Amino acid sequence: MKPVECRFEAEALSAVLQSRWPQRVDAPLRAHIAACAICSDVVAVASAIDDARDEMRARAVVPDPGRVWWLAQLRARREAAKAVGHPITVVQAIAFACAVGLLAVCFGASSTWLQSELSWTTAAVAEFKIQPLLPSAKALIAEHSALLLAMAALLFLVPAAVYLAVLRD
Amino acid sequence: MTYTDIRSDCTLEDASVGSVMEEDTFRAFYERTARGLWVYLARVTGDRQLADDLLQETFYRFLRAAATHDSEAHRRNSLYRVATNLVRDARRRGLTRAHASLTGDDIERLPSGVDAAATERVTDVTRAMSHLKPRERAMLWLAYAEGASHREIADVLGLRPASLKPMLFRARRKLAALLGRAPDEAKP
Repeated sequence: MKPVECRFEAEALSAVLQSRWPQRVDAPLRAHIAACAICSDVVAVASAIDDARDEMRARAVVPDPGRVWWLAQLRARREAAKAVGHPITVVQAIAFACAVGLLAVCFGASSTWLQSELSWTTAAVAEFKIQPLLPSAKALIAEHSALLLAMAALLFLVPAAVYLAVLRD
Repeated sequence: MTYTDIRSDCTLEDASVGSVMEEDTFRAFYERTARGLWVYLARVTGDRQLADDLLQETFYRFLRAAATHDSEAHRRNSLYRVATNLVRDARRRGLTRAHASLTGDDIERLPSGVDAAATERVTDVTRAMSHLKPRERAMLWLAYAEGASHREIADVLGLRPASLKPMLFRARRKLAALLGRAPDEAKP
């Protein structure tokens, strides 16, 4: 198997990184680097990259540390405020859903018509007679279509509102 | 300043090591690392503008993590790991240029009046590196510009140290060939 490293590799690299290559390197190491494909690659690549790094680093324009710190603090504060607001939105959505549920329960409890219809429907379902239900259902839909539509809409709107509120955060 | 220099700096008393960073500590750390990190980002992404953006984002995420570090080298490794992950994300989102089309013109755009030979050196390395994969660029830069150890490079790039050696060997062979040592071996 072809070797992928040489025991003098680190020494060769140090010589380049410490700017000792090629003048201030011992003759034996220089001779080894000339003969070793791995070390000569290391020296060639490290020298080229080291030169380029120094040139690029000298000309790199980076923002002021104070500005980076300030922007980071600002962003962290904004994200923290958002994170605090998130549970409030969820609680508000849950409270809204509870209120709707409570209204529905109150309506159900106070409406004698709904009570009678419900008991009649329960009895009809228990007897497995679907036929007598149809006229009643038709009448119910015809008389209270707006209410039924509103309830159906609520069934979609409440979960959608919760989902959107959570998504927005 | 290379990783080696940083290690020797660690012999100095650094009260911030092992604690969450304060503004003064951050400023000093930024002064020591920002330029090198920007060059690393520019080199790996091949895009100055993106390097500017990623530099800010890297330091923000680094601060937000509020991690404690055993040493300056550990802290620096964390910073480079954050930067490398951001480059990876940017690449996934298609924000970086495909390596085959990278010319490096952005990176070597230098102010007028600078040393022509220096510009040429930067250009040669940029052009040669543009034929490498982003991960190969990153590992070569960390190894030979930052002087990072194999373990540190593996840690930053999320690789196993054992698999790094052959990968680094292949990337180095490729770059050496591209730089003109053995043109017949260049396989961009």
